[in-house]
Amino acid sequence: MTVTEPASMSVAPSGGPVVKVTDAWKLHKLGDEIVRALVNVSLEVQPGEFVCLMGPSGSGKTTLLNIIGGLDRPTKGIVAIAGEDTSKITESQFAALRHDAIGYIFQSYNLIPFLSAMENVELPLMFEPYDRKALRKRAIDLLNLVGLGHRLDHQPAKMSGGEQQRTAIARSLISNPTLILADEPTANLDHRTGEVVVQTLRDLCSKLGVTVVASTHDPAVAEQASRVVRMKDGQIQAE
Amino acid sequence: MLKYGLAYGLLSSRRRARQMLLPAITIATGAFLVVIVFAMSAGIKKQATALGHADEIGHAIVLIAVTVLLVGVVEAAVATTRTIAHRTRELGVLGATGVRSRPVLVALLVEPVVTAFFGALGGAVLAAVAGAVLGAVGAAESGVSASGTVTGLVIAVAVSVVAAAVTSVVPIWRAVHHPPIKSLSAS
Repeated sequence: MTVTEPASMSVAPSGGPVVKVTDAWKLHKLGDEIVRALVNVSLEVQPGEFVCLMGPSGSGKTTLLNIIGGLDRPTKGIVAIAGEDTSKITESQFAALRHDAIGYIFQSYNLIPFLSAMENVELPLMFEPYDRKALRKRAIDLLNLVGLGHRLDHQPAKMSGGEQQRTAIARSLISNPTLILADEPTANLDHRTGEVVVQTLRDLCSKLGVTVVASTHDPAVAEQASRVVRMKDGQIQAE
Repeated sequence: MLKYGLAYGLLSSRRRARQMLLPAITIATGAFLVVIVFAMSAGIKKQATALGHADEIGHAIVLIAVTVLLVGVVEAAVATTRTIAHRTRELGVLGATGVRSRPVLVALLVEPVVTAFFGALGGAVLAAVAGAVLGAVGAAESGVSASGTVTGLVIAVAVSVVAAAVTSVVPIWRAVHHPPIKSLSAS
């Protein structure tokens, strides 16, 4: 399956890193113990890059993704998205930034079970005053983009894991984001389906200019990335 | 923006009708009892007056009606709590995709209100039919009053809907403002 750009889709902005993490720390309190989930992490991601965060469980990959996406805040340090310092914005402002500029892909897809594939893709914009016909057309275009034009009315329970993950990818693109954050996007998929999903993510970068930051354990995913960042014990080990 | 929340709430209520069945039945039970109490209260009061204990029995009837209504309110609150627990991950997804909290709050309020309305209406209509049948066959010695039945029906539906809305606002508001990262990790 290959990605072709729908007419309405624009490309990521030019100039400056999309993501800039500077000296980020994340400490959790677990009983009497302080867990260091991130230790002095700095990372820059340029527009159109496909960056893969690799490392064992507990290495801080998901924490770093969550901090970039504003689902979690660093204990110390700065995270800038498209040049905007997110440490100075409120939760609701970060939610608006997420809505406009960031797409999320989860390990367990997190599709809404009672909505069709089309409605799941529309979900992030369903609560906004968009023209419903244009929104429906865009959702169909995106499902065609990820090769699911034949599954528009299917609910998640009637789709395979790979199809659900590709629906989630289409959903992450509905707001035309500059950045996609994918947390272990192939972890629940068999090897072949995982390859299709990774190929889709890579095509988003190369053909649409979308920036992707993905966490994974899977070396096959890392092989497709334009850059691999290795993490261990909350620190970046090597690039 | 709120109308889109309402539209999503109605869509989810329609699609989740099966999940709403159990809470609707519990609310219907409360409404059934309210209508029966109101339908028979006039006859019971009349008998009580004849026996010379009008005040005591009148107070007892009010107490029973209030208790039954309170049970209905608790049932509506329990139904909402159950609904929120089932939809935690959905809220996490909406939060993670940056959907604003106000339309989501409206969307989630629709389900308990719709459940309460149809549950109470179903229970109340069933009670009205049961009262009419009991009255027709003479099984209710105190008699079944039509005006009492209508009053009971209106009160049961109104109290259920208002109780569902009032008891749902705080838990839904809390759930909507829960950090998405925590909602997403909920099982």
